[in-house]
Amino acid sequence: MSSFRKALKSRQRNHHERSQPVARKHLGLLEKKKDYKLRADDYHKKKNTISALRKKALDKNPDEFYFNMINSKLQDGVHVATKATDEVEVTEEQKKMMRTQDIRYVEMKRVAEVKKIERMKAELHLLDADSKQKNHHTFFVDSKKEVESFNLATHLNTVPELVDRVYNRPTLETLETKSVHGPSRNRVVQKFARQRKNQYKILSQRIDREKKLFVISQKIQTRKDLQDKTHKVKVKRETTNSAAIYKFETKRKR
Amino acid sequence: MRPGFSPRGDRGGRGGRGGFGDRGGRGGFGDRGGRGGFRGGRGSFRSPEGGGFRGRGGGRGAPRGGRGGRGGFGAGRKALVEPHRHEGVFISRGKEDALVTRNMVVGESVYGEKRISVEEGETKIEYRAWNPFRSKLAAAILGGVDQIHIKPGSKVMYLGAASGTTVSHVSDIVGPEGLVYAVEFSHRSGRDLLNVAKKRTNIIPIIEDARHPHKYRMLVGMVDVIFADVAQPDQTRIVALNAHNFLKNGGHFVISIKANCIDSTAAPEAVFASEVKKMSSENMKPQEQLTLEPYERDHAVVVGIYRPPSKQKK
Repeated sequence: MSSFRKALKSRQRNHHERSQPVARKHLGLLEKKKDYKLRADDYHKKKNTISALRKKALDKNPDEFYFNMINSKLQDGVHVATKATDEVEVTEEQKKMMRTQDIRYVEMKRVAEVKKIERMKAELHLLDADSKQKNHHTFFVDSKKEVESFNLATHLNTVPELVDRVYNRPTLETLETKSVHGPSRNRVVQKFARQRKNQYKILSQRIDREKKLFVISQKIQTRKDLQDKTHKVKVKRETTNSAAIYKFETKRKR
Repeated sequence: MRPGFSPRGDRGGRGGRGGFGDRGGRGGFGDRGGRGGFRGGRGSFRSPEGGGFRGRGGGRGAPRGGRGGRGGFGAGRKALVEPHRHEGVFISRGKEDALVTRNMVVGESVYGEKRISVEEGETKIEYRAWNPFRSKLAAAILGGVDQIHIKPGSKVMYLGAASGTTVSHVSDIVGPEGLVYAVEFSHRSGRDLLNVAKKRTNIIPIIEDARHPHKYRMLVGMVDVIFADVAQPDQTRIVALNAHNFLKNGGHFVISIKANCIDSTAAPEAVFASEVKKMSSENMKPQEQLTLEPYERDHAVVVGIYRPPSKQKK
């Protein structure tokens, strides 16, 4: 029988709510059932909430203790926490990564990055690094006189212009007898320089990425360690580029 | 078919990359490989003036692709190679920026280092990159050391040869006329050293304690230079012992000092100074000292002369 009723429905004309009659147009749009439903639900929800709160207030045990009584106070009619909540120093990016990824995955990515860095470093030897020379070069000579008359270019048997070019200071003989191999056209040399610069850029990006991944993995690890039940004291707060440091109570394990 | 291997097979199948032998070997990283293909395309486009870039790459493609991951800067890659202050050492300035030595065994990498070959008219010369982050000697050279005293034809004693990575470069420098006596105590790394020596006839591997030079005195003749990278608290004594036995008068020594291995509590500078003092008492006269930043921390290389000839009075 019910199937018959359903079959009939298919032939039925759809019900349409009428719109505002022209005579009542000055009253604005006519509210439809679904609009009314929204309004009514909202009204009832608010009413129920208020009555629930009122009931809760009436049922309240005046002798009960709440931590908020001592941890907060009224300020201009608003409850404000007296103790600053421990806000965690995590950037949005780190948070996202930590939530979605497993520590092993992060670690795997980091190791891959380390390997790539190593491989790039094997052929990029920082020859043209802009920073000043970091190492110390000491020459031992026999007498004070030699110290006074010391000239780096003559001591190294090279031309003064090349003294600052630490990675290769060819001797005078080398300059005279040997020559550079390979393409010498200006365009090719410029292309090499461009490619090299690009390679260095990639290398520095990879190093940055590796550092970031390291921080993330450290933070995840700290969170994991915190689930341990042993007593621990926070020694250092978490920052954007380091995990928090905790001191764990030493316990003899059998 | 093991599932783990399927991606590799897939990579091989792509072929477009494998064709340029130089890049095919580096399939390991996706992004670079991709770029490789692009460059290859350009190379072939320019081939009329570029001098047969394509032909070379194609010819070498097959054997190299098989190695997978290893291999390197590649046969077809072009670079500028400038001679270095120290004979036998070069600097390659292409896409890479590397210290290189001329490869004595063409077509072989010793420890997975990159190779680069440059065409000079008809002949092809192959170079191997020398990583200063792994080798103290390379770090010293890039740091601007005045003399290493290792040059084509010289006889070198290398104490603390380890797996023979730096030794292989030293053997490149001294060439077929020179000799390298590579001393290493550990059997484990000695095994790698033996494998390096099999390919390079100018290396004589010695698996012995460098503290007892009398044990290998039958193997070793007089040498011109002693290079030491032993990282022992008594390393100056070890070098002195070997110098007394094998180093010719007026011969040189190059010692790499790791401050932590001598005295981890003292300041590095103080350690270096005390070592230099010890050398002077052993008839070894230091001539220069160089720290190895930025490649190593708290390391120094000391170069000097053994039993210097007495000065002629003018």
